[in-house]
Amino acid sequence: MQILKTLQIKPWLPQAQESNLPPLVPNKEKAASTALKFFLAVIAVIFFLFTVTFLQRTQSFDFQALSGEPWLPFTNASMLWQNSVYLIMASISIIVAKKAADLQSFKGVIISLTTTALFTVLFIGGQVQVWQQLNQSGFYIYANPANSYYFLLTGMHALHIVAGVLVFIRCIWLFSFNLSYQVLASRLKLCARYWHFLLFIWLFLFFLLTSDAQTFKTIALFCGF
Amino acid sequence: MTEMENIAIADQVDHSSHPNTFLTKYVWSQDHKVIAIQYSITAIAVGLIALVLSGIMRLQLGFPNEFSFIDPSSYLQFVTMHGMIMVIYLLTALLLGGFGNYLIPLMIGARDMVFPYLNMLSYWTYLLSVLVLISSFFVSGGPTGAGWTLYPPQAILSGTPGADAGILLMLISLAIFIVAFTMGGLNYVSTILQARAKGMTLMRMPLTIWGIFVATILGLLAFPALLVSAIMMIFDKVVGTSFFMPAILSLGETLDHSGGSPILFQHLFWFFGHPEVYIVALPAFGMVSDVIAVHARKNIFGYRMMVWAIVAIGGLSFVVWAHHMYVSGMNPYFGFFFATTTLIIAIPTALKVYNWLLTLWRGNIHLTVPMLFAIGFIFTFTHGGLTGLMLGNVVIDLPLSDTFFVVAHFHMVMGVSPVMVLFAAIYHWFPLLTGRFLNNTLGKFHFWGTFLGTYAIYLPMHYLGFLGVPRRYFAMGETDFIPESAQTLNAGITVSAIIVGLVQLVFIANLIWSSFKGKKSGRNPWQATSLEWQTAQFPPGHGNWGKHVPQVHRWAYDFSVPQVIDDFIPQNVSPAEVEYLSSEQNNSREEK
Repeated sequence: MQILKTLQIKPWLPQAQESNLPPLVPNKEKAASTALKFFLAVIAVIFFLFTVTFLQRTQSFDFQALSGEPWLPFTNASMLWQNSVYLIMASISIIVAKKAADLQSFKGVIISLTTTALFTVLFIGGQVQVWQQLNQSGFYIYANPANSYYFLLTGMHALHIVAGVLVFIRCIWLFSFNLSYQVLASRLKLCARYWHFLLFIWLFLFFLLTSDAQTFKTIALFCGF
Repeated sequence: MTEMENIAIADQVDHSSHPNTFLTKYVWSQDHKVIAIQYSITAIAVGLIALVLSGIMRLQLGFPNEFSFIDPSSYLQFVTMHGMIMVIYLLTALLLGGFGNYLIPLMIGARDMVFPYLNMLSYWTYLLSVLVLISSFFVSGGPTGAGWTLYPPQAILSGTPGADAGILLMLISLAIFIVAFTMGGLNYVSTILQARAKGMTLMRMPLTIWGIFVATILGLLAFPALLVSAIMMIFDKVVGTSFFMPAILSLGETLDHSGGSPILFQHLFWFFGHPEVYIVALPAFGMVSDVIAVHARKNIFGYRMMVWAIVAIGGLSFVVWAHHMYVSGMNPYFGFFFATTTLIIAIPTALKVYNWLLTLWRGNIHLTVPMLFAIGFIFTFTHGGLTGLMLGNVVIDLPLSDTFFVVAHFHMVMGVSPVMVLFAAIYHWFPLLTGRFLNNTLGKFHFWGTFLGTYAIYLPMHYLGFLGVPRRYFAMGETDFIPESAQTLNAGITVSAIIVGLVQLVFIANLIWSSFKGKKSGRNPWQATSLEWQTAQFPPGHGNWGKHVPQVHRWAYDFSVPQVIDDFIPQNVSPAEVEYLSSEQNNSREEK
């Protein structure tokens, strides 16, 4: 552990070789990468805390899971599978966009960026459609804690996707002015990390929100709720 | 990669943020120093509102029913707004948004924060959160009176003051504040990790930066808990969900909620709330360490242990939260666990107090105003910390939890103590901002008025708590077990509180007067070693360092180094540049 070694340094003693000090000031890309890591940690904590409260609530008397019985909406979760495919495709195409930027292929960049935007918008649209279907079937947000958590968690996730899209649009906007492939590639690398992270969060939420009562019981038992 | 991008951040001049007009220089500024001042002025302004609120509360407690404009509802609203403003919008904003912004780039040798635009956005978002909060004074029903902890179910039920618009504005304001803090916090950690000057290793950073760094990480990881609870409570209030709301009868009416857990909110709130104590305390610990070292002309005692203690306190602060909830009821084993972790956190904290004392020991102590406030902090913090040890034990906490003993404890430990450090820091770094000293006589008056005055307020409050005087009550009424003398004590506390409040006006007047007419300080007036005092231009201009960023050759505590002519060596002085005494000079110094 480097940090433990660092914390043992005695700064009041002369350092062995001033010139051998590690390079402390990398470029702006590294700084953005550090900031993104911390930001992802913040998002992870938000969803972690939501999840803990959710798991506790799954064991209350009035909790009705959203799958497991034929009349429940996610016993057949084909809409959510479809949305997952959209987000996976968005995640893949943003990697392709980054590669295209590395290769300085204008056509490749335009096609893959458009594909990323398209699949991301399809994902958001698909999520909105699921919300509408739930409402039409009487699974209102206030009707049951499982419904409440479904709307809350997927809403928070969608909000983060929208925030990512805004940053993504800014990348393209800036690229349209300076046409620097290197800068675009470095920005897309961070965008891709964000997209992958949100894909991971979505898959986790997908599993969590579409589990049946028995699965929740097992998880709660395992977690000590 | 462009050529510009290959240049280390520290060596880049950010042309995009060069201010040209009045607006870009002072309003939409991306300069960390201007943003720091914007943060500080806003925080102090909103803090003054909270100070006035506390004065009004004290008027009611000291002289019950003498003032017709204070009724039970408005009293609770004042309590709530006072607490929330002081903890979040004043202390957190001033310590991290104000001092963090000002000191991080200057102390680590950077030209600015790594994301200046985001930094600017952080301030304006913070201002928006303050405006939303203040707007709740003007809506129907007024601000929320749910107590600063905002516990459901009462926070959102009719019967509680501000249960309609007030609570919503509070929750929305908190959410906006957290967005602002996250933008600022990401900047602080990235800047500290990625934009330090050459030679500024982590273990050469002044303790101020260590305190701000770890506090920011705590904030980034703890504020989400408040955000999560705020969002869920907004849903409960607006959409009718039952995250925190159990089945409940309100004013004889059965509500639609069922199955929610109010205790869950408490867990979330305190999972944020306890680290929040250290979000405020750690920067204060760091700054007071630097003030003490400079004004005692001595290297900080046990630098490494001070760093370890900051990191340890930061880590432990996440596993003690339920000690705020002993009276809510919990599994006895949990109570044991949280009492144990609470007592363990006293170890690194006590270590820091001993190290401050050992830094003072045989130091060349200059009783300047910053030093007076720093020493005052050691007293108030020790008192607040010791009562914390008492309250950390379940059996002592249960009878005292809802009494004025707790009010006295937390005001000493996280009200008065960080404020003492803030004053020390303002008096210490004011010359860096303005090139002028704050007036010394007014400063000493301010110190003694504040130090003795706060003791006059909070020491008797402990006794009120022992008597069983409950907190949060608008009036005691006829209460057999509380003697008449308790009311006399309450009146005395109120008089002290008003005096302390008025003394702060002297400080504000001193700030304004000295900014224009104060005695010129010259460069590095305290003969400090850290980088912020070594800038090419004094006070530092935009970009901080002129043509070249400094290179760091040593830690920040080379004071009274034997055989060296000056009694301090700045961090950017290389070993070859240090001037040593001749053997005659050295002998004569030793004889002295």
